[in-house]
Amino acid sequence: MAKVELKNIEKTYEGDVRAVSAANVVIEDREFVVFVGPSGCGKSTTLRMIAGLEEITSGELWIDGELVNDIPPKDRNIAMVFQNYALYPHMTVYENMAFGLRIRKIANAEIDKRVQEAAKILSIQEYLHRKPRALSGGQRQRVAVGRAIVRNPKVFLFDEPLSNLDAKLRVQMRTEIAKLHNRLKATMIYVTHDQVEAMTMGDKIVVMKDGVIQQIGSPLLLYDHPCNHFVAGFIGSPPMNFLDGKLRRDGERLLAEGEGFSFVVADNHLEALLKAPHPEVVIGIRPEHMGIAAQDQIDNILSAHVTVIEELGAEAHMYMSRRADDMENLIARLEQRHGYRIGDNIRLSPDMERVRYFDAVSGEALLGVIGPIRMSSRRSALAQG
Amino acid sequence: MRLGDWYDRNAFWIFPSASVVFIMGLMIFPLGYTIYNSFTDWSLTHGDQVNFVGLKNYIDIFLNDDRFWGAVGRTIYFTGLAMAVEVTLGVLIAVLFDARDFRGKRVARSIFLMAMMATPVAVAMVWMLIFEPTAGVLNYLVKASGLEAILREHAGIAKLLWITDSASVIPSLVLVDIWEWTPLISLIVIAGLATLSREPYESAMVDGATPFQIFFRITLPMIAPTIGVAALLRLVDCLKTFDIIYVMTMGGPGYSSETLNIYTYQMSFQYFNFGYASALLVVFFVFVLGVSLLVAHFRRGLEL
Amino acid sequence: MSADGYCEPKSTEISRFWRRLITNILYFGTIVVCVFFFLLPLLWMFLNALKTPLQIVELPPRIFNFTPTMENFENVFNSQNFLQYIYNSLIIAGGSSLLGLILGLPAAFSIAQYRQKKLAVFILISRMVPGITFLLPLFIMFRFFRMVDTYTSLILSHLLVGLPFIVWVMVPFFESIPKDLIDAARVDGCNIFSTFIRIILPISMPGVVTGGILSFIFSWNNFMFSIVLASNRTKTVPVAIFNFIAYAQIDWGGLMAAAVTITLPVLVITILTQKYVIRGLTAGAVKG
Repeated sequence: MAKVELKNIEKTYEGDVRAVSAANVVIEDREFVVFVGPSGCGKSTTLRMIAGLEEITSGELWIDGELVNDIPPKDRNIAMVFQNYALYPHMTVYENMAFGLRIRKIANAEIDKRVQEAAKILSIQEYLHRKPRALSGGQRQRVAVGRAIVRNPKVFLFDEPLSNLDAKLRVQMRTEIAKLHNRLKATMIYVTHDQVEAMTMGDKIVVMKDGVIQQIGSPLLLYDHPCNHFVAGFIGSPPMNFLDGKLRRDGERLLAEGEGFSFVVADNHLEALLKAPHPEVVIGIRPEHMGIAAQDQIDNILSAHVTVIEELGAEAHMYMSRRADDMENLIARLEQRHGYRIGDNIRLSPDMERVRYFDAVSGEALLGVIGPIRMSSRRSALAQG
Repeated sequence: MRLGDWYDRNAFWIFPSASVVFIMGLMIFPLGYTIYNSFTDWSLTHGDQVNFVGLKNYIDIFLNDDRFWGAVGRTIYFTGLAMAVEVTLGVLIAVLFDARDFRGKRVARSIFLMAMMATPVAVAMVWMLIFEPTAGVLNYLVKASGLEAILREHAGIAKLLWITDSASVIPSLVLVDIWEWTPLISLIVIAGLATLSREPYESAMVDGATPFQIFFRITLPMIAPTIGVAALLRLVDCLKTFDIIYVMTMGGPGYSSETLNIYTYQMSFQYFNFGYASALLVVFFVFVLGVSLLVAHFRRGLEL
Repeated sequence: MSADGYCEPKSTEISRFWRRLITNILYFGTIVVCVFFFLLPLLWMFLNALKTPLQIVELPPRIFNFTPTMENFENVFNSQNFLQYIYNSLIIAGGSSLLGLILGLPAAFSIAQYRQKKLAVFILISRMVPGITFLLPLFIMFRFFRMVDTYTSLILSHLLVGLPFIVWVMVPFFESIPKDLIDAARVDGCNIFSTFIRIILPISMPGVVTGGILSFIFSWNNFMFSIVLASNRTKTVPVAIFNFIAYAQIDWGGLMAAAVTITLPVLVITILTQKYVIRGLTAGAVKG
């Protein structure tokens, strides 16, 4: 029932510190949107502006067709789950959940009904009469979610709700929140610095960096078509491999060459790369596209030696370096059993059709992308000569 | 609803407003009034005629008032002696307390607390009884321990007169101040020690440092800021010590324990010399504030 | 060293035993001496309050070898209107602490919440400044308004000590409350006032108790403000006892009984609320 729209939202703190610039996002009704980025990227500030906890410096915020810039948080019909749970320590779990309803002068019978219902969904009925300090971290987090549920808000806001939980609990709560979303069919906005959380939970992901939205899209879109070097490196674990290279025409072929390698650009990339503004590019290769070359293969070879092998059972992550000092980290994801050992020399062969290319100067993707792209002069250096 | 929003936007001045009004009315205005009075010759004993005399009071204070300069000297003497002992002793006690756990620690801490919280007037009274030259327990102890004989032989002192002798009155009062306020330093330092991370100690012990090295190289530097704040708090109060001095000696014998606070008090409420007293108050105010700010500046400890 | 050490394991063990014993004796000896130094004057006060005037001046002093008498207390309570003074002290200490909390808590919250550093300095400077600076002008003002010797003037003057102290204790306390809690209350529908009343104050009770108790004790103990501003009607206990010195012509028994009467309530409160008192006294000096 609630669509949230951010139109050119900006946040500037005193002393001209710009925390968020020109954020344009449309969050459809019932959508689960995740804002993700490294700490200090402005994602939490954006969420807090949606909540009404931070003033919006400029731009418009629409919730459910209403301009809410000047409406205080209590009248926005939103509920928020905080990173540190923010449970009221002097109230029981029951009272914590009921508090927002009591403030709104809702009848006791109705309050009780809603609290019991939420407690059932979250299976915290047993703890209703305990104080928060008698609960474990996971239980506290459930109460914090319960406090949001009973309010029956138009929009749920989550501010890094899982980052204080241990790894196992985090995975468990992740699925529970996803289930909750299916069940409540409400609009949810979720902030996290953990790209795995973003990938696994979001219908739509908003990647931010330094206060600027980099790309908006579905998890797979971001994974397959990152709009720039940053998004490519941020999304995906283990992260994408990057190699510095230079484009060079060689008759009919276009080569991407660098220290110790010379790749032939695949046909499906040819058209886009011919229009590249500079010959200097960064070549991005996902670990799963870092194949092992066949014995007789000559083209598209990258030689390196193995430095670390992480065996995960179903797959293995192999770290390699082309340099003697091992300071480089190339990663390949191997899905079959392999016989490699540390120190082995290895011949890699990237899947050239799925390699990504980025402009070495601006960092922008050179292949067609979807999502907001900062405008820069796209003069083709190669096309001219 | 809208009223609530108005509150939200204006809370930043509504909340402190009552306090601000109070401080304006009972501190800032009186202070201004005092400064104004300090330029007059207002005195209750000279009738109600008040004349503006400019800087005369200040000039008199600084150039012609031996009693003032005596009070300044005694204030510094009293404060310096008290601070030196209280900080040293206070830190030592705190470190001793922190070093080990033992039964009765809580009781011991209660006793320290009691000394500090006991009503100063009552404290002054019992110390007067203790200091009493003929019937007091202190002189009895001096005699019983054989100290009296030694003193008579080598220093020619027949009897220790404590607060009734002009030479010993300030050290005696300092003893009371030490008794009363050393616990404050100890408590603050104990609390500070409790917040210290244990890890530097452990790593120092692993590195093979001796207890002395650990104390001087690790404990002391880590606790130094806390000691500084404690000392500053104490210093500010020590300069203003009034209760025990006034109750025990009223500045006597003669003027020999008359500190600045006592002197300004006498000038105000003994002689009702409001004009001159106001000038003294301004000087005292600037003195205390100056010392506090100076110390705070040197170890910019008083955050907030 | 290593070879010799192996030959005589027993003697090193013994010397270690002695060394530990000596350390223990030194350590606990020092502690005991310190504790006694701070305990004895108070103990002396209590003991002498229970002695007859003659026993008090007797040498060598009697420590526990005397029959306690309540005579001194009877004298104090009969010869002076002592119950009235206690009542006065209660009204003034209670009134100024309550008022201090009412004024100080919102101010401290505001300083913590809105980072009002200047206001903090403004209020805390008054903790530094000598009280006598305000006492003379206040005396003149109260005299002008014919308010000397009223509860109002005494409560207001004691507030000069209590209010800055309460602010001093509460600002770090409020600062330690997670901001998220306030945000959560706002999202839940509170305005800043209901947040303060329904969330902040209940979870700050330890701090409120600390500030209240200490402000009460400081006011109860206050001597200088009371001796100037109080007279017959509103005389507080410390002033009454001070006057008693002249009145009783060094009746040591009476003085000690009076001293006990005034200090005992403070000591009892201190012991019962030790945790809070310590927290209050060390507030602002120790982080965390």
